[in-house]
Amino acid sequence: MRQLKIALFAAVASCALTLPAAAADGERFDGYTLRVKLIGGAQYEPLYTLIPQWEKAMGAKVEVISRKSHFELDREMKQDIASGNIDYCAFSSHTNFAPQYAVMNQPLDDLIAADTIAEFAPLVISHATVNGELMSLPRHSDVSNLFYVKSLYEDADNKARFKAEYGYDLAPPETWAQASDQAVFFTAPPNRYGTHFAGKDEGIAGRFYEMLVAEGGALFDDDWNPTFNSEAGVRALNWFVDLYSKKAVPAGTTNYVWDDLGLGFATGNVAFDLDWAGWAAFFNGADSKIGGNVGVALAPKGSSGKRTGWSGSHSFSITKQCDNKPAAASFITFLTGHDAQMLEARTGLLPTRVKVWDDARAEFTAKGDSFMVEVFDVWGQSMAEHAFTPPLIPEWGEIANALWPKLQAAILGDMSSQAALDEAADEVREVMEDAGYL
Amino acid sequence: MTRLRRYARDHAVPLALLSPAVLVILLVVLLPLLFSFYTSFSNYRLIRPDSLWDWVGFRNYLRVLGDGDFWSAFGRTVLFLTVALNLEMLLGLGLALMVNRITWGQRTMRTIMMFPMMFSPILVGFQFKYLFNDTIGLVNNALQSLGLASEPIPFLVDRWLAFAAIAFAEIWMSTSIFAILILAGLFAMPKDPIEAARVDGCSNWQVFRHITLPFLMPFIYIAMTIRSLDVARAYDIVDVMTGGGPAGRTELLWTLIARTAYDDARMGRANAMAYFSILLSIFFTWFFFRKLMAARRHLGAF
Repeated sequence: MRQLKIALFAAVASCALTLPAAAADGERFDGYTLRVKLIGGAQYEPLYTLIPQWEKAMGAKVEVISRKSHFELDREMKQDIASGNIDYCAFSSHTNFAPQYAVMNQPLDDLIAADTIAEFAPLVISHATVNGELMSLPRHSDVSNLFYVKSLYEDADNKARFKAEYGYDLAPPETWAQASDQAVFFTAPPNRYGTHFAGKDEGIAGRFYEMLVAEGGALFDDDWNPTFNSEAGVRALNWFVDLYSKKAVPAGTTNYVWDDLGLGFATGNVAFDLDWAGWAAFFNGADSKIGGNVGVALAPKGSSGKRTGWSGSHSFSITKQCDNKPAAASFITFLTGHDAQMLEARTGLLPTRVKVWDDARAEFTAKGDSFMVEVFDVWGQSMAEHAFTPPLIPEWGEIANALWPKLQAAILGDMSSQAALDEAADEVREVMEDAGYL
Repeated sequence: MTRLRRYARDHAVPLALLSPAVLVILLVVLLPLLFSFYTSFSNYRLIRPDSLWDWVGFRNYLRVLGDGDFWSAFGRTVLFLTVALNLEMLLGLGLALMVNRITWGQRTMRTIMMFPMMFSPILVGFQFKYLFNDTIGLVNNALQSLGLASEPIPFLVDRWLAFAAIAFAEIWMSTSIFAILILAGLFAMPKDPIEAARVDGCSNWQVFRHITLPFLMPFIYIAMTIRSLDVARAYDIVDVMTGGGPAGRTELLWTLIARTAYDDARMGRANAMAYFSILLSIFFTWFFFRKLMAARRHLGAF
C-alpha cells in the first residue's frame, strides 16, 4: 500500500512538473466545464486521480456525469444516441465497440497532432481506426496470455507422472492440444481444476473467436457470409466442449466472467489461466494465495500454428456534439499521456505508447521486480506479433450475443458442436442481413 | 352531436379540471405505448436513429412467431409463474395461519416476516448467486463438509437445479406478500361462523376447508394478480444469478427482451416480443380477476 502511495505521489508530482510546459504552447480553457462519461471500476479509477492536475493547468473543470462499468456505459450511450441527448464532450470507449457509436463519435485526425498520434503503437492506432478515421485515443490494451502456478509445473513427481502418461515433458503448453492434456492431468476436484474459461456473454464468444482464428478459421468470408460453422470452427469449439465433458474445468464455468476467473485463479484452485495482464500484479501479490508462485507464458498455438490473441483497447473519444472540442482533445490527450500511462502500467495494464513500454519495463527492472519484467516481455511480444481484434463493425456485440448461447449449448452437451454453430450462423446471417451487409 | 356539445357545456368546469390529468396520462402512458407499437413494425436500432423510419411491416412479428428461443422463454416464464405463485401461496398461507395463532410478540413477528421484501431484488440475486455457487458457494460447502456430496453440485448450471435456484430466490423474497395479505384476511374474518361450526361439531380441517379458506380466497386472488404481474416481468434476480443462461436454460421473457433491446440494440424486434409478452400478463390478470369475482360471489358479497 505504501509503495502504491509513493508511486501515486511520484506520478502526480511528475505530471505537475510536465503539465505547465505542455500547456504553455497550447491554449487554456479558463472557466470552462468539460462534461465527460468515464468507465468505472477498480482497474480504471486510479487514472482519474490525475484529473485535478489537468483542471489546474487548464483553468477548467471536469464534471464526470456518469461512471459505470463498460457494459452499463454501453447501454447508456445507446440510449443517448436513440434519444439524441448527447450533452457531454468526452467518453470512455473501447476499440471493439467504437463502431457502434459512429453517429456520435467525432473523428480525431484534425484535433490531435500527428506527432502525438505517432507516439502510439501503430497496431493499436490501426485498431482504433474505423473506415480510415481515428475514432479514439487508446488508453490501455488488452490481450490474454497464460498465467500458471509454478510449483505445480516444477514438482518432480508431477513431471515424472506427466511424462509417463503423455510421453512428453511437462512445461507450460506451447499448443492448445498440450494445454488440454495438462488441464486434464492437473484436475483433482473439488480442490483443483486444470483451468477455467469465461463461459458467458462476450467472454466465451471472444474466446471462441480467437480459438477459431488459431485453428485457421474465420468468422466471415470477404462478403460477410458467416463461415465459422466450418471444420475449423468445430475444432475450436470442441476444445471447450472436451474440457467441460472431461470435468477439467469447474461445472460453473459457463456462468463465469472476468472477476470470477481472476479471483478463482488467485485462490490457487486452478493450474493455469488464460487471462488479461491487468491481473498480473494482483496474482503475484500478497492478497493472492499463489503470490510469488506465478509464471507467465505466451498464449498457446492452435493447430494452424497461429497463437490466440483476441485483443482490443480501452480508449477515450470525443462527441460530435461537443461545444469545445479543443478542450476535450486536450483532456483525452492528457489521460493517455506518458505519465498517465506509466501510472496504469505499474498495475500491469498494457500501455499504448511505445515509450511507456520501455520506461515501465526499465522501472520494474530498477525495482528488481523480475515478475513484472517478464509480464511486460510476454505481453509486449503478444501485442506486437499476435494480437488481433474482432471485425471492427457495429454489429460485433450482436454477433457475440448470437454466438454465446449456442456455444454454451454445445459445451453443456445440449447439442453437437456442428449443430450449435450452424444455428448460430443462421442467427448471425439474419443480423448481417438486417444491418445491410448481405 | 348537440348532446355532446350540451354535455360539454353543462360539465365545463369538471371537464376543464380533469383535462390536465387526462393530458398527463395521454402523454406518459399512451404516447410511449403508441410509439413502441409503431417501432415494433420497424427495423429500429438504437445505434442507428434513422432506422426508426425503416418500416418492415410484420417482419418482426413473423420472426418472433418462428423463433424457438422466444417460445421456449415464453413457456419457461409460464412455468416459472405457475411454480412460483403456487408455492408462494401455499407457504404464505401456512405462514399466515401460524402467525395468526401467535398471541405474544405477533407484531414483531409480522415485521420480521417482511424482511425479505425490504431487499432490492438485485441484492437478493447476488446473495443467492453466492449461496449456490459451485466452487465457493455456502450450500456446496455445507453439503461437502457434512459428507452429503463428494463433488460440487452445479446449482446454477444444471437445467432443473438452475430453474429451481431462481424460483427459490423469487419465492424467498416474495412469500411474505402472500402471508401479509392472507393475514389481513384472517384478521378481517368474522368469528361467528367458526364458533357456530364448532358448536355443530366440525373438525379443524372442516372449519378450515369450508369456512376459513373460502373467506380467504378473494385475498389470495388479489395477491395472485399482483404477483403474477410481478413474476411475469421477473428480471433482476434472474439477470444477476444466471443472466438467462447457461445455454438459455433459465431464459425468461424479460431477460431475452432486455438483451435484444439494449445489448443488441434491436428495439423494433424487442418491442414485438414485448407485445407478445403483454398478452401473457393480460391473460393472467383476466384469469385471476374472474376467479376473484367467482370467489366473492361464493361468499355472497354480491
